[in-house]
Amino acid sequence: MSETKSVHDWAKDWQALSQQYWSAWGDLARQAGAAPRFDVATPWHEGLEQWARLFGGAGRQSEVVERLGASAKSFVSLMQSMLSTAAGNDGAAASVWTDVLRQGFNLPGIDASLLNNPLAASLRDLSGKGAHSLEQGMAELLRLAAPVKQEWLNLLGTPAFGYAREHQERWQRLSAALAGYQEQTNRYNALILKASERGFERFQSKLAEREEPGRQLDSVRAVYDLWVDAAEEAYAQVAMTDEFREVYGDLVNAQMKVRSLVQREVELATAQLGMPTRTEMRSVEKAVHELRRAAKSREDGMASVSAAELAELKTELAELRRQVGAAKKKPAAARSVPKQAVKTSKSKR
Amino acid sequence: MGPVKIEPQRALDEALKFQQKLAAGVRTLRSLDEVHFGATPKEAVYREDKITLYHFKGSGKPRRRTPLLICYALVNTPYMVDLQEDRSLVRNLLALGEDVYLIDWGYPDASDRFLSLDDYINGYLRHCVDFLRERHDVDAINLLGICQGGAFSLCFTSIYPEKVKNLITMVTPVDFHTPDNMLSHWTRNMDIDLFVDTLGNVPADLMNWCYLTLKPLRLNQQKYIGLVDILDDKTEVENFLRMEKWIFDSPDQAGEAFREFIKDFYQGNKLVNGGLSIGGKDVDLKRVTQPVLNIFAEQDHLVPPAASRALEKVVGTKDYTQLAFKGGHIGIYVSGRAQREVPPAISDWLGKRSP
Repeated sequence: MSETKSVHDWAKDWQALSQQYWSAWGDLARQAGAAPRFDVATPWHEGLEQWARLFGGAGRQSEVVERLGASAKSFVSLMQSMLSTAAGNDGAAASVWTDVLRQGFNLPGIDASLLNNPLAASLRDLSGKGAHSLEQGMAELLRLAAPVKQEWLNLLGTPAFGYAREHQERWQRLSAALAGYQEQTNRYNALILKASERGFERFQSKLAEREEPGRQLDSVRAVYDLWVDAAEEAYAQVAMTDEFREVYGDLVNAQMKVRSLVQREVELATAQLGMPTRTEMRSVEKAVHELRRAAKSREDGMASVSAAELAELKTELAELRRQVGAAKKKPAAARSVPKQAVKTSKSKR
Repeated sequence: MGPVKIEPQRALDEALKFQQKLAAGVRTLRSLDEVHFGATPKEAVYREDKITLYHFKGSGKPRRRTPLLICYALVNTPYMVDLQEDRSLVRNLLALGEDVYLIDWGYPDASDRFLSLDDYINGYLRHCVDFLRERHDVDAINLLGICQGGAFSLCFTSIYPEKVKNLITMVTPVDFHTPDNMLSHWTRNMDIDLFVDTLGNVPADLMNWCYLTLKPLRLNQQKYIGLVDILDDKTEVENFLRMEKWIFDSPDQAGEAFREFIKDFYQGNKLVNGGLSIGGKDVDLKRVTQPVLNIFAEQDHLVPPAASRALEKVVGTKDYTQLAFKGGHIGIYVSGRAQREVPPAISDWLGKRSP
C-alpha cells in the first residue's frame, strides 16, 4: 500500500477504476454498434465476453480470438481478485495471496470439477481447432454412436441366449470398456488435481522468498507469471512420475479399447445397410499400398539396371578413348581400333 | 513485509493498459488478412505420391557445388525453416552460398495409412537424394536433418553412407530414454498396436494437443496473455499469427510409420540400444563415419539437450562437432539469435569439409 494513500483513498480509486473499466468497454461496444450492458458491480471478466462478441465469430482470426479470450478472462478475473485484496494489505502473508490467487481462478459458474484446479481448466481449454483432446474425442465418439448405444442399452436387459447371446456379450464387453475408461479418467483427473495443489504449494513457497525488501512483486502480471512457473514445475514433477506414466498409458489404452468396440458396432450396423465398412476400406488401402510398392520396386529395379548399364558403357567409352589416344601416338600404319571392344559394347546394349 | 506490494497507481495503470491493448486488438485483428508462411521463392523439382522436393532460389548463384538437402520431421509442415523473410534459415543459408533443397512430405490421407518408415527412408528420402546426386553429378550430398527428420537422416546415412558427404542434425532425438524426456515417458505404457489399429492415421489435432499438454499453462494461457501486450502492433501480431498457423496446420501421421517410430525409437530406444532395422536394412550409427555437425537447443522441451547430445557416444565418425544453441525447439529457427548464429555455423562448418 502506498504510504500516501489511505484505505479509503484506495477504495475510491478502486471504484473509479471499475467505472473507467466499464466505461471503456461501453465505448468499445457502442463503436461496434452493440449495446453495452454493464455496471460497476459486474465481474470484470464479463467484459471479455463482450470483447469476443465484437468479432462476430466469423473473423479470419476467430480461433486466436477464442484462445486469447479464454486466457484473458482468467487473467482479468485474477486481476480483479488481486486488486480488490491489495487495498491496505501490503503486509499480507504468502498464504493470503495464494488463497486470493486460488479464488481468482474460480470463476462464477465454473464446473465443480475445475474448482481450485486451474491446471484441469487449462487442459480442458486446450481443445479447439487444431488441437483435439482425448476427452473431447471420446465425447464426440459417444455422441456419434448414440443410436447404437441406445440399441445396446435396450438389449442389455434381454436374456442371453440364442441369437441375442453374441450381441449381448459384445455389449457387455463395451459396457465394461466404458467403465474401465471412466475409472482411468478418474485416476488421471486425480493426478491433475494433485499437480494443481502442488502448484499452489510451490507458488506459496516461491512467494515467501519475495518477502525481503526489494524482492517484492509489484504487479498482478508478476504474480501471475510466478504462479505459471510454479504450476508448470509442479505439473512436470507429477507428469514425470512412474505413476503418471502408468495412468496416462492406461487412459489412452482404455479409450482406444472403447473406440475399437464402438467401431465394431458401427461396422455391424453399416454392413446391414450395405455400406462399405472400415475393415473393407482398410483392406483396399492395404492392397493399394502394396501395389504401389510393387510398382516402385520394379521401377527401382529397372533404374538400377539402367544405371549399371550406363556405368558399364561409360567405362567402355573411357577405354576406347584411351585406346584411340594410344593409337594416335603410334605410327599411322599401326593405327587400328580394337574390334573386340566395340563388339562387346554392342552386344551388351 | 508481505511478498506483494502493488501500488494503487501502478495497479490502475496495469488494469487500464491491459484493457486498452484488448481494445486495440479489435482493430488490429479485424484488419489482418490471412497470414502465410514460406518466404523464399522455390521450384518443385521432383514429386512422388504426396511428397515434393523443392529447390530454393537465392538472389545469387550458389557457391557450394554440393547441394544441401533439408529433411524435416513428419509431424509439422517444414516451413518453420522459411517462416518469413526475416526469420528464415533457408534464406540465410542461400545468402551464404548454399544450394538448398527441402522435402515437403505432404499431408497423408487414408490411402497413405500403410506407409512405413521403409517407404519414407528407403523410398522417398533415398529417391530425393538420388535425384540430387544425378542432378548435380555428385556421388554424395550434404544432408541436414531436423528433429524427427534428423533421426531419419541418421538412419539413412547408416544405410547409405556412400550417398552422404556431410551430415548435420538439428534438435534431433537420439537417446529417447533420457530422464527429462516427458513425451517419451508418456508413450512408454501405451499400447501402440491398439492405438494405430483403432485410429488408422494419427490425427494431427491429437498430436498437437499432446504437445500442448507438455506445458499446458505456458503454451495455452500465458502465451495468449503475452499476445495482449502486442495487440496494438500489427506486424508483431502478424508474426504471432504466422507462428500460430504453423503450429496448428499439421499433417496427420501415416499409421504404420507412426507405429514403427513409437515402438522402435520412443519405446525401444533402438538408435542407442541397437537392433533397429528399416525395411530389412540394419541401422548402426557406427557406420556413420562422415563428418557430423550436431546442433541442439539448450531449452528444448520436446527434444531435451541430453537426448541429442547422446549422438556423440554412438556415432562412428571421428569428425564430430557439437553446437549448443541458447533457445528452444522453435527458437532455433526463428529467433533473432538463430538468424545470426545458426546459418553461419552450418555454412562455416560445411565450408571446411565440402567444395
